[in-house]
Amino acid sequence: MTLTDAAAASDLNEVITAGHDQLWQALGACGTWWSGADRVAAIAEARQALRCELCRARLEALSPMMVAGKHDSISNMPELAVDLIHRLTTDPGRLSKDWASQVIESITEEAYVELATVICVQYVIDSYSRCLGAPLRELPIAGEGEPSRIRPQGVGDVGAWVSQSLDKSLANVSRAASLVPDTENLWRELVQIHYSRGPEFADLIWDRALTRPQVELLASTVSALNECFY
Amino acid sequence: MSLLRASSEALSSEVDIDDLEAGAQVENGDLLVRYAESAVLGHSDLTALREEVEDRLGRKALIEAAATVSAFEGLNRIADVTGIQLDDGLADESADFRTALGLDAYSGASSTKSQGRPGRAQNVMGIFR
Repeated sequence: MTLTDAAAASDLNEVITAGHDQLWQALGACGTWWSGADRVAAIAEARQALRCELCRARLEALSPMMVAGKHDSISNMPELAVDLIHRLTTDPGRLSKDWASQVIESITEEAYVELATVICVQYVIDSYSRCLGAPLRELPIAGEGEPSRIRPQGVGDVGAWVSQSLDKSLANVSRAASLVPDTENLWRELVQIHYSRGPEFADLIWDRALTRPQVELLASTVSALNECFY
Repeated sequence: MSLLRASSEALSSEVDIDDLEAGAQVENGDLLVRYAESAVLGHSDLTALREEVEDRLGRKALIEAAATVSAFEGLNRIADVTGIQLDDGLADESADFRTALGLDAYSGASSTKSQGRPGRAQNVMGIFR
């Protein structure tokens, strides 16, 4: 490796790490539907899911719903919120609309989307550390404040399991969390840092350390392993 | 996978998306696939594969690979947990390889009402806005 390569590598890692620093602390801030303490508890619960015996047994079953039991939970979060966190963490490819409807009925769709988005951001940041053999971050500090519980304007049924922005100028995956704009901003910033990187995303030929086909091969492999249809 | 195919075509390079596990004929694809598999599945050979990626492709490529793998761990989850449908155009663009690779059997396929008719998009990047 040349010195230039090493410096460039360091720069990229520094950009990503600096982005993670900001986003990680923002995950611990008070949300729109969950308090800061709730969000930090959810992050801890997501890490616990990787050690949960029920999740392990369900992963090996033909259908996750064939295995009853209680999660090895470490928080006081509502039972169906814990189920959302554990299943989203350990078995995302086998979530169903019926299951999601039960969780939404219990905790509201806004709280469902915010919690899920927090876990997705946390999972990406933790996964990046695991990919590079780096230690996981300490839990963020829980912020003060009370959730405002304000539902945004301009959201509704666009055929997904949850309400989304009715503005079709964005792809469905880009507005997946638009029901909770403040938390969605964290998610979109994270995807920009890791993958899209502004206008460059529209180019089919990239000037990165990996070619775009190499990047998209990695993306396709991860999606296939997670059995993600989208 | 649509972007894998389109970006390979942009470079006039061969890609075999039916043979994803072997690297789809992408340069160093076999190694990148093994690295991604190990990272996603939590296999014990991740450290060795991380070192192999760095040795063969460089430190910056390893960081790009880690950034991509982790990004799609999240993108898959946000798509699955919100039950989003395939976008207009993407159902048609992906219909051929979804059938060939059995992707329509995935649980998330039930979220999309229209399975599409095989047909390549004029501008695939227009789908991913």
